[in-house]
Amino acid sequence: MTETVSAPTEATVLLVDDNPQNLKVLYETLKDKGYRLLIANDGEKALELAHRNHPEVILLDIMMPEMDGWQVCEQLKADPVTADSAVVFLSALDDVDAKVKGFALGGADYISKPFQAQEVIARVRTHARVIKLERQLQKRNRQLESDQSRILNAISEGIYGLDARGNIIFANPAAALITGYHADDLVGQNFFKLHFVDAPNPADSGEESLPVWMTCHQGVAEHERGVTMHRADGSTFAAEYRATPKLEGDNGKLRGAVVVFRDITAELENERALDEARELVQEQRDQLAHASRLSTMGEMAAGVAHEVNQPLTAITNYARVARRMMAAETLDKELLAETLGKIEAQSHRASEVIRRIRRFMKKPAAGKEVLSIPALLEDTRQFAEVDMRNNEGGIEITVADDVPEVLADPVQVQQVALNLIRNALEATRSAGAADPVQVSATMMGENCVRIEVTDHGIGLPEDAEEKLFLPFYTTKEDGMGIGLPMCRSLVQAQGGDIGFERQPEGGARFFFTLPVAAGSGASCVPASQDD
Amino acid sequence: MTDIQQTVYVVEDDEAVRDSLELLLKSDGKTVKTYESATAFLREFSDAMAGCIVLDIRMPGMDGMELQKKLNERHSLLPIIFVTGHGDVPMAVDAMKEGAVDFIQKPYREEALLEKIEAALAQDREQRKSLGEKQEIVRRIKTLTPREAEIMDRMIAGQANKVIAIELDISQRTVEIHRSRVMHKMGTHSLAHLVRMVLSVKDLIDAR
Repeated sequence: MTETVSAPTEATVLLVDDNPQNLKVLYETLKDKGYRLLIANDGEKALELAHRNHPEVILLDIMMPEMDGWQVCEQLKADPVTADSAVVFLSALDDVDAKVKGFALGGADYISKPFQAQEVIARVRTHARVIKLERQLQKRNRQLESDQSRILNAISEGIYGLDARGNIIFANPAAALITGYHADDLVGQNFFKLHFVDAPNPADSGEESLPVWMTCHQGVAEHERGVTMHRADGSTFAAEYRATPKLEGDNGKLRGAVVVFRDITAELENERALDEARELVQEQRDQLAHASRLSTMGEMAAGVAHEVNQPLTAITNYARVARRMMAAETLDKELLAETLGKIEAQSHRASEVIRRIRRFMKKPAAGKEVLSIPALLEDTRQFAEVDMRNNEGGIEITVADDVPEVLADPVQVQQVALNLIRNALEATRSAGAADPVQVSATMMGENCVRIEVTDHGIGLPEDAEEKLFLPFYTTKEDGMGIGLPMCRSLVQAQGGDIGFERQPEGGARFFFTLPVAAGSGASCVPASQDD
Repeated sequence: MTDIQQTVYVVEDDEAVRDSLELLLKSDGKTVKTYESATAFLREFSDAMAGCIVLDIRMPGMDGMELQKKLNERHSLLPIIFVTGHGDVPMAVDAMKEGAVDFIQKPYREEALLEKIEAALAQDREQRKSLGEKQEIVRRIKTLTPREAEIMDRMIAGQANKVIAIELDISQRTVEIHRSRVMHKMGTHSLAHLVRMVLSVKDLIDAR
């Protein structure tokens, strides 16, 4: 005897009574009130309908043959599907014991027979609404819980909830996976003992220095990388973790910590491989730079030989003169001393040339140092002059007063400066110009020094922008096309930038930048510029 | 005429090399003048300079090779010893083709340098001596009267006195007088010597 009356979205009400007359009255009372009404005339049918339709409210007659209302209620409450339905007893038994028993069995309410239609309507409405809300709430809760656990399960980071003593009160599956424990075994264990103290090789220092300790005990958030944690099997892994204090909502009292951690062994391995690759590149660049310096020295060999031969020639001459003086009848000691002094000065001159060459040829590069720009440029100028005996104009250096020291590799910077200056000398010479090559240093912003080398040559070809810094591109008859790409590589290794500008009056200007020693350490490469 | 003061002109941009070379050559008894650049030397250059040039091949501004060209344009007789560095041999070869006497590589041994300088000075003396002789011949030729000059030309051409007399329509005796004056003015007694003298200055006379 079932019947569906109203929209299924509405609350469902099950009417249970062995007396058809009563059922009819109840039905008439609740009809058209927006409920879906179900009817059962005995306990068995009531249980079956309730299980199938999950009614919000069940109006249940106590006095029924075979299975009375109490038994039905008992079974309804025992079935998880129907346990949350509101059971409202209907009975003529108007005694306290009966009511108490009904409530004790999980009944929600009690309506005495003969009932008033208004009372039935009011009570059913109230209970239907309560149960509906309760069910929505539960549904929402379940959804939230499943969302939460889905998130916690899906996260690859291990997550621990710790109490103030460091005992694990929650662990997600990833935490178990990373640490090698079973998720159920983790809860209740002490975080510090499990992963640090009781591990085969406990940390020597005090507990206070243990990871997460300060978060649990002082409420200080922590973030560390490369901490060694122990697994269940005694092995260890490098971990990165973040620990956030758990504070009680009302009074902000410290309740423990939430620890999010992950195994960074592979990450560290990758970083190390990357560092190694970087080192290899650096090493190769240094070797290439050295080879390039050797090649420059090869090009300058004639000039260098000349530069060493000059003092040697003078020394030989002076020595002969001294010998003659000693062979003379009267020895002019003063003149002899003067001549010997000249020999000494020329020896220093020769050794200075050789010292400069040796320093330039040095391998490997010395690494970054704090450098004085005027000293470096002056040294480079003297070096370049070895090779510029046919340039009438020479080299002019101007360094602005506010140019500070820079942080760079002295040999490599000199290599770049020498390369640019020699190019400029050659360009000026081949254009037949007698103007000096201008070398200047100025500040560019707060963190960079800009060094410019300006020549008076024929200028640069039209496609220089695209090609000038490409390997093996050259505009010189006997050029290799190695110099400028090498310069760029070297300047970039110092955190600087290199480029060129055309001069309105012809000629070219090359520049490079270097980070100042006391600067922010930021690169001097403009952000807008790409390679 | 043969006792002209010879000077070693040192053109060298490097102060120490210049100074030491000057001292060295002076201690050997040479007269030395030094110049710090090719331009400085060229400014002072004159035909009257005798001796030789010790010239650095590599110098800023005008280099040794350019100076050599400029001096050749001005018909300089001064022998040039080029001083070269290592790796400048091709340049030195070019310099030799342009008429340099010799070259020496830095750093050099004193003996070698002095030897080369002596040789250069000897060459200069020779050139200057023969130049002096030629100039003397030309001077003497200039003292001849037109008639004497004409007679001398014919003598050199090998004409006999008789032929000269007939062709010039003068007496043989007059020819003989002119002839003896020519021999006297030219300072010789031998016709063969006269012929050699006049032929040796043929280019100088033609150049006039």
